[in-house]
Amino acid sequence: MAPLTRARLLCALLLCACVGTESQSGKSTGGTLVIAAGGDPDILVPSLLSNVQAAEIVDLVYDRLANIGDSLNILNDAGFTPRLADHWTWSQDSLSIAFHIDPLAKWHDGTPVRSNDVRFTFQSTIDSTLGSGTKALIATIDSVATPDSATAVFWFHTRTPQQFYDATFQMPIIPEHIWKGVPPSAWRASEQARHPIGSGQFRFVRWIPGAAVELAADTANYRGSPKLSRVIWSIAPDFNTVVTRFLSGETDFFEALRRENLPEVAKHPELRLKQYRGLAYIFAQFNLRDPANHARPHPIFGNRELRRALTMATDRANLVRSVYDSLAIPALGPTVRAYPTTDPSLAQIPFDLARARQILDSLGWRDANGDGIRERNGRPLQFSLAVPNTSKARAQLAVLLQEQLRQAGVKVDVEQLDFPVLIERLRKRAFDVAIGQWNTQPSPGSIRGTWGTAGSRASSGSNYSSYENPVFDANVDSALASFNPPARKAYFTKAYETIIQDAPAIWLAEPIPTVGYHSRLQLAPLRSDAWWAHIADWWIPSDKRIPRDNTPAGTATAPAESAGRKTP
Amino acid sequence: MIVAIVATITFALIHLAPGDPFSAVMDNPNVNERVRATLRAQYGLDRPLPEQFVRYVGQLARGELGWSFSHDRPVREVLASALPNTLLLMAIALAGSFTLGILIALVQVARRGSATDHALSAISLFFFSMPDFWLAILALLAFTYWLPLFPVGGAVDPVMHDYMGFGARIADRLRHLLLPALTLTVLAAPGVARYQRAALLDVLPADYIRTARLKGLTEREILRRHALRNALLPIISLLGLSFPALLTGAFFIEKIFAWPGMGLAVVNAIGTRDYPLVVGGVILGSIMVTVGSLLADLLYAWADPRLRAR
Repeated sequence: MAPLTRARLLCALLLCACVGTESQSGKSTGGTLVIAAGGDPDILVPSLLSNVQAAEIVDLVYDRLANIGDSLNILNDAGFTPRLADHWTWSQDSLSIAFHIDPLAKWHDGTPVRSNDVRFTFQSTIDSTLGSGTKALIATIDSVATPDSATAVFWFHTRTPQQFYDATFQMPIIPEHIWKGVPPSAWRASEQARHPIGSGQFRFVRWIPGAAVELAADTANYRGSPKLSRVIWSIAPDFNTVVTRFLSGETDFFEALRRENLPEVAKHPELRLKQYRGLAYIFAQFNLRDPANHARPHPIFGNRELRRALTMATDRANLVRSVYDSLAIPALGPTVRAYPTTDPSLAQIPFDLARARQILDSLGWRDANGDGIRERNGRPLQFSLAVPNTSKARAQLAVLLQEQLRQAGVKVDVEQLDFPVLIERLRKRAFDVAIGQWNTQPSPGSIRGTWGTAGSRASSGSNYSSYENPVFDANVDSALASFNPPARKAYFTKAYETIIQDAPAIWLAEPIPTVGYHSRLQLAPLRSDAWWAHIADWWIPSDKRIPRDNTPAGTATAPAESAGRKTP
Repeated sequence: MIVAIVATITFALIHLAPGDPFSAVMDNPNVNERVRATLRAQYGLDRPLPEQFVRYVGQLARGELGWSFSHDRPVREVLASALPNTLLLMAIALAGSFTLGILIALVQVARRGSATDHALSAISLFFFSMPDFWLAILALLAFTYWLPLFPVGGAVDPVMHDYMGFGARIADRLRHLLLPALTLTVLAAPGVARYQRAALLDVLPADYIRTARLKGLTEREILRRHALRNALLPIISLLGLSFPALLTGAFFIEKIFAWPGMGLAVVNAIGTRDYPLVVGGVILGSIMVTVGSLLADLLYAWADPRLRAR
């Protein structure tokens, strides 16, 4: 046990006696969860954050009006559970939703949550000087009115199936009285961005950059106290260090285990593994436009049949098994199995090396000089495959893909690039093939930007392949506009089948996120978009507690960092 | 002048690298180019590079190192919180590596040509050739996991430190410091040992050593009182030269041991294209190296009576 001063130990034990009680369900409250984290959160403002650590912390500190259900349904309000809004009312034409704020809801500084906080959150998010990516996601919302302090009415431009999702999921509510004095352009640099005051079941305690972030249970929370007393992110920038901290018991939970860590975890009987359906997919995307002249098709990948042949030459099942073992399965397409709209039996281009060779022959790509590489009109069938040097798994995928395509007479030059360099190349469409990964949201709607014509033609679009097919676009639009779940799924299926057959990418893998945790920890279900969504229900039985569980939450003596920072 | 040249080259190099702070950390399909453009304009990254440079030099002239994009704090504050940790690590490693290196050299010279001498040479060469990051990872695994004597990185126990008493806090800091400092020491000591061994072998044929032998002094006394003193001068030069090596070594050590020093801050800043923090860190590093070299020169002048006489 790490030593405590006698007075503090006494204080800690007294507090544990008070806090660590048996709840009605028989589960005791109290305990400290230490999460192994690979980096600092970037910023603790819901509309500005961009990394997963920040999302985890922000989701526990701030509340939304309503929470999405574990099934990730985004149609209307089915499956959503009340949070800051204890109930809501749809207008007759469904162009507005009135959210009624829970009268017991309070900010962590004791101020009641009011409807003007909701309006302020919306208005600040759409303020162009803030520079929030969320603005584009809530474009269907026209305004937020506050007829009284307990009611926030969202008005929408048009009726859409996911308007409720847009109003709730995309906007954790922030306190107006804390933020109103700060111009949105200065939010990133503000003190509030590092010391958030929210209304969630955990309140912010401290952030020691490069070392830890600590949250404590908000025991007076309107939704009740969480079962854990403290949640701490123990930060280390090096992956090996993070893993070692988990294996040595310094941390209780690690969210990003890799295949090579599993044998070591298996040696520890006190450690457990848990898998859940994730929202990410990995692909090797072809650039369909000539990098030298975007007006022309790519000299190799502009041809649909050639792309299909390359897909056919790829044994995806073997590739995924070799790289990920049980931590991934072959991807279905630009989607994930966790979506209710995904049909897991989507037709695929099958692995058939002989057929792939025939197609390449028929396209005029033949190995005339016997060097093992096909040529056409003097041009070898050779291209570069870019991968980020930050991902070991993707680098391995690239090497195996290189070998598989070599057997079809294709020469692939693997290029490992610094992540910012790769992003820059993708944005400029200056690549041949690149292995990428999209981490999607509960709504499959982001496919418009990543694979639709809109995302291809906008200079800022994320459709780096420049794939364009009006049939695909029309089916995606119809799916997103449909209120009928079976019809919605049918449209998405048509869209996915279209893009799979067009093969703008080889759909490689769908990772199965695997978390490691200490057996003393009792987990609640892990939600696909956010494993941390139910942390308030996690608990540690009192007979399995260790000394670090018995420190009183939020009473650390040392200040995290100096207050009163200047802005740039 | 050296610092100014280093700052200019670093500024140019980091800006020449593709990407910027807002392309590296915001690879998000929902963050469109308009948002990125707004952010670039807010931080002046939309201006021509020469203008950005002139503005940066102006800031430097006012003693400002700029604003860290990745930490959302002034660079001065980020470096000020990291510098003491780096200096502590470097100081201990410097003292440790020179002490250990000199001791190894003395043993080798005292038993020159023996199996001990050869074994120590081989061991020194092994550690001298070993990449910093590799030894650090090995030490981390060996002494925190396989043989759990030390905590796994960090400067303190992030969970319990603030609940400890004063003595326990000091002990906690020492426990966290020991392994990275020892690793850096082991990496730097072989260079000192090899250098010192050569310097000692150079002075052993000297007349005053022969005189000492004729006076009947033991080999140990000769080494300690006569040979070592005269062979220390080149080691003082090495002290100045060791600053850059130790500083860059500390960068890797800090990253692997999650030691919250300057190296960790700068390495992370390179990945996120946090220009001001990279340049600020390099400026501070070059100042440290310059001051270190100056101190070594002064120490050399103080230690060598011939230089003092001039």
